[in-house]
Amino acid sequence: MVAAVLSLRWRTTVNSLRRDWWRILVVVAGAIWSLSLVPSLIWAEQVLWAQLVDLRADAMIVGGSVLMLGWTAVPLLVTGLDDTLDPSRFASLGLPLRRIMPGLGIAAFLTVPALFTLLAMLLLALSWRDDAAALAVGLVGAALTVAVMVLSGRVAVAWASRMLAGRRSRAAAAVTSIAGIAIVAVAGRALLSKGLEAVLEEDVPTLITALGTTPIAAGLAAPEFASGGDWLPVVWRLGLTAAWCLLLALVWRDSVARVLVTPPARSAGVTRRDDRVLAHADVAAAIRRRLEAAAEGPFGALARGLARALPSPIVRAVRSRALRYWSSDPRYLAAAAGALVGPVLLFGILLPALGTPGWVAFVMPATVATSIGWGRHNDVAYDSTALWLDVVSGRIGREVMRGRVEAMLVWAAPVVVATSLAAVQVAGRWDLAVALSAASLGVLGTTIGVSAVLSVLMPYRAPQPGANPFGAEVGSVGAGLAAQVVSSLASVVTAPLVMVPFVLAFVVHPAWAWVATVTGLSLAVLGVALGVRLSGRLYDARSGRLLGAVV
Amino acid sequence: MEPALVLTGLQKSFGATVAVAGIDLEIPQGSFYGMVGPNGAGKTTTLSMATGLLTPDHGIVHVHGIDLWERPDEAKPLLGVLPDGLHTFDRLTGAELISYAGLLRGLTPDEARRRRDDLLAALDLESAGRTLVTDYSAGMKKKVALACALVHAPRVLVLDEPFEAVDPVSAGAIRRILLMFVEDGGTVIMSSHVMALVERLCDRVAIVGSGRVLAEGTLDEVRAGRDLEDRFVELVGDVEDQRDLSWLRRS
Repeated sequence: MVAAVLSLRWRTTVNSLRRDWWRILVVVAGAIWSLSLVPSLIWAEQVLWAQLVDLRADAMIVGGSVLMLGWTAVPLLVTGLDDTLDPSRFASLGLPLRRIMPGLGIAAFLTVPALFTLLAMLLLALSWRDDAAALAVGLVGAALTVAVMVLSGRVAVAWASRMLAGRRSRAAAAVTSIAGIAIVAVAGRALLSKGLEAVLEEDVPTLITALGTTPIAAGLAAPEFASGGDWLPVVWRLGLTAAWCLLLALVWRDSVARVLVTPPARSAGVTRRDDRVLAHADVAAAIRRRLEAAAEGPFGALARGLARALPSPIVRAVRSRALRYWSSDPRYLAAAAGALVGPVLLFGILLPALGTPGWVAFVMPATVATSIGWGRHNDVAYDSTALWLDVVSGRIGREVMRGRVEAMLVWAAPVVVATSLAAVQVAGRWDLAVALSAASLGVLGTTIGVSAVLSVLMPYRAPQPGANPFGAEVGSVGAGLAAQVVSSLASVVTAPLVMVPFVLAFVVHPAWAWVATVTGLSLAVLGVALGVRLSGRLYDARSGRLLGAVV
Repeated sequence: MEPALVLTGLQKSFGATVAVAGIDLEIPQGSFYGMVGPNGAGKTTTLSMATGLLTPDHGIVHVHGIDLWERPDEAKPLLGVLPDGLHTFDRLTGAELISYAGLLRGLTPDEARRRRDDLLAALDLESAGRTLVTDYSAGMKKKVALACALVHAPRVLVLDEPFEAVDPVSAGAIRRILLMFVEDGGTVIMSSHVMALVERLCDRVAIVGSGRVLAEGTLDEVRAGRDLEDRFVELVGDVEDQRDLSWLRRS
């Protein structure tokens, strides 16, 4: 069975390379990059070897902890790497768990990142070579720690998808993100109030020692004690890491067991008495009637203008449908959370820890806006199940795109404004609140416009509804990569341009704030309007090709 | 009288695979038209191109004389479509999905509500109207998709495997609706594997194989005095290697 699972993995890799030849370039580039790191690893090993024992251990602990964080967080943030061996794909085969688990386990370790991490950690552990016993402990500890990393990644993905798929998905996602933000805020505050140097002197050594007693880095702390001939700490540290490995393996096994017998895409028997789609349409119709009645009155021109600006019933229908997936589809919840986690981590932990000046906070809302807007660059594929009905209903691309974008703005615009207000609070510049909010909304609008166009122009396969929100359709990595590169380039180019007047307001003269407000708001409207118009036209022109590209 | 649907020289290839090698069909108004063919014959590809879901490599589609790919805003309202093998947006309730389809087709909210309730009753979905489509069985999904195809009162219905996975009672309801639709001058084109069903419902038949039309005409013309199934197997060709799976036998 192990051989069958491994050959399956090999076969899918080869087939996907055969289908899209240019993926070989990606693989080769990745290999070259990894190999190019080997000399620097050897150099690092030399440097570590020349250090004192305690410093060497501390460096290993810090490096290992960062890697551990990466192994746990990256699979959650960067989705769509490869889900050939997503356990749910084996559900229909009716295989017993104990036959499939060894194959999955070995396959999890036979990935390029896992092998490379193992190689790197073993190489660095060679820096204990002065003492044979310490070297042995170092190698065993490093190997165990890599096992913990790989298994942590598996468990993180399994738990996150289980959490998002359940009935309580929304509540769970909200509670987790609030808790995460709270932790980040507290940590950031502690760092800011003390100052970086004080933290480096007092807290960091304590933290390193503490990390060395947890499964995160106990295996890396062990050789220091071995070289001092102190064997009790060595034994319990290695034992702790091994036990943690076993525990993670059991937890992973448990989630695989669950996946094998739990069919995906269950709404947990949700029923709705009212027809939300029609309810929204009724409200719109009532508003329209009232405006039309007022068209004869004293403010007739205004009422007629408002009536013209009202979205059509088609836009409203699409918007109510899109709001349904934003509130209940794990794929969208995961995407929204993912768009916020990166910037919050960056600005909540990393930059305060580095002691950057307060004005850096001003970059945060624009980053949040870019990451939200960029995140929708494959929206049409995520919405693939609605595509055929939209396409057969006529030439309504503009309405469909507008409905989608509006549903997203319902939550994204308040989030961006809230981040802007948080930023001015941190920087202590409430006089810039309006300008910053407007400029950030401008970034949001333009990136959403760019994403709307790209989602029609370069769609690639996305997980189906009910599938693992952290997975990818087999065969999507390549097409996805091209679209991701193009969309991020476009976002990276447009976002700073929008922010220029605001920067001038901050650097040159406060009067620029008014310019920033006006340009920000107009670019927001313009970006969304142009994006919707252009993507709608493309949608109609490409309607006969979109389904083939995303289903 | 102008034909309801005319397919002229339709072709489609996916890479090296030719799915549709050139199909010409003329479907008269008021006919109940059956398209039969083995798996992989190109039925779904043809119907996708005839409904605007898939751009043809070559060929023209006319719906009541209007070129579908040139003037989609005039042609698409005439068509009601039930695709096969495509997921439907399933996080709406059945009732919401039908209203959604109605609103997309430009119905007023009041009209959409009236038709939604009629369709839910006619297709025996009333009790399921409040459940999310994701919790529906395959047959119920088929029925709600059919309701979406009917909601704007099209003139031509293009149905890909409309009776697949549908229980006999619901199949009876769908049959009655479709026959009534044809009686009132509408046109139905459906694909199916089930010969008995096609013989019972359709007045005209096309047999499709390897992306081409192998036989076409009224039911009696195509049958040529025999069973439709025999004729079908004769045209398409039987399984060549009739190997005896002896290991399947118990004794």
